[in-house]
Amino acid sequence: MIKALLWAEAYKLMKQSRTWYAIAAVFVLELIVLISAYYQGAAVIDILLNNLKESFYFEGDLLNGNLLIYLILNSLWFNFPLILMLVISGMITDEYKDGTLQTVMLQPVQKKWFILSKYIVATVFTVLMVLVLALSAFLFSYLIFGKSDLIVFIGKLNFFNAVEAETRLILAFLNGCISMIFFSLASLTFGVIFRDTLKTWIVSVLFLIVSNLLLKFDFKWELINKLFYAKLNDTWQYFFQYEIPWNIILRNNLLLVGYIVGFSAIGVVIFNKKDIG
Amino acid sequence: MKMSRNLLLLLLGTLSALAQEVDADLLKVKAKMDSVQSFEAGIIMDVDISFINMPTKEATISYQRGESVKFNSDDFILIPKRGFDFSLEEFFRHPFITVDRGIEMYQGKSYKYINIIPNSKKADYAIASLLIDTLNYRIVRSEIITKKEGAFTVNMKYDSDSAALPASMTVEFEVEEVKIPLNFMGRDTDIDRKQIRTEGKKTGQIYLQFQNYRVNNL
Repeated sequence: MIKALLWAEAYKLMKQSRTWYAIAAVFVLELIVLISAYYQGAAVIDILLNNLKESFYFEGDLLNGNLLIYLILNSLWFNFPLILMLVISGMITDEYKDGTLQTVMLQPVQKKWFILSKYIVATVFTVLMVLVLALSAFLFSYLIFGKSDLIVFIGKLNFFNAVEAETRLILAFLNGCISMIFFSLASLTFGVIFRDTLKTWIVSVLFLIVSNLLLKFDFKWELINKLFYAKLNDTWQYFFQYEIPWNIILRNNLLLVGYIVGFSAIGVVIFNKKDIG
Repeated sequence: MKMSRNLLLLLLGTLSALAQEVDADLLKVKAKMDSVQSFEAGIIMDVDISFINMPTKEATISYQRGESVKFNSDDFILIPKRGFDFSLEEFFRHPFITVDRGIEMYQGKSYKYINIIPNSKKADYAIASLLIDTLNYRIVRSEIITKKEGAFTVNMKYDSDSAALPASMTVEFEVEEVKIPLNFMGRDTDIDRKQIRTEGKKTGQIYLQFQNYRVNNL
């Protein structure tokens, strides 16, 4: 039964025009970010290397595909989950709005498996979207701007050779996947709770904005800084520290997976308990 | 009366400066280096600057007499502005005087210590101090105080007594540490130049190892 439900959910998701608009929006955003990153990149390098100009000549081009992908990563981690949340929350709110939920529930389908299939398809869709984003970012950036060393400022000026930079960028995308799944599934849970499309969108957007604000907020208690969900969403940045802190990355990702499971469980429980009508 | 006395002092000063000869050992070093028409070598480069993390870099260096050295690398590399004037062209470009400071011990050996002081305002350095190996006519250490680019110290090690070109080199320099807002390249990528503050001078070093010299002598 679950297999049929998964296929049905995937079909419904790909059938709605909103999904394709979202995919197109991601490409448009990526293109805009790529262009602005190219122009911003020169200023970034200029500032980072300003104090070294007095003592050194520079050989090699730092304004290359790797820097642009890094800037894309920085710029898209707000806009991208926003798009995902709008699409994913629609997976449940549209069912309420169109009344198709009642029709489905007239079939021999367990509510638990029905909502779980939505969470699974939402996860797969999010992963695929991140893959599309990553592949297109690498493809466009390398094709147009080539591949060379990456310069990043995280406390110190970190230089990575081209191969190392590529590996770290791939790892950052993979790690970013977990954050994206968190936001996607949170929006699905909001859909279960609020049912109404517009209300769910507003709450989802608010949640994303607040999460981003709290990311920079320095809590008095170090434990909150370590464990609070909002603080875990830029774990991908650790891949650009010169020595990758694998322990912190593993801890943050495990915590975030815990939050994902928690948010999803809340959605499944609420959906199971609530009447469909 | 006062004016003629000033003129006399100026004349005496000028004559005194002209009377200073360029150190004979320095001229011999120059002659030895001038015998190198061109060379190519591979270099392995390590950077030691407190606020920079950079992996070991590889590059090639090529030199043609009368031209500045050229570097080529697939990677991004930092090339010190001083330390690669193998033929001492930068010193000899403008008139200068040398002052013999005697003998100085350096790494357990004694070397001739001289100062080079430019006579021309066009020179881009204020003073240079050299330790000369007078047995093999080559420079083992130079300290150059530039007018615009800070101070550089270059230490050179040679593989053999006959070698004119160094096997390894350390370039020390002063560089200002840059302070950049924490979110500079984080989730917000706004660039605010006003927020960028510097925090004193730091000393950095670049270690260079030369490999596979292909030297073309005259």
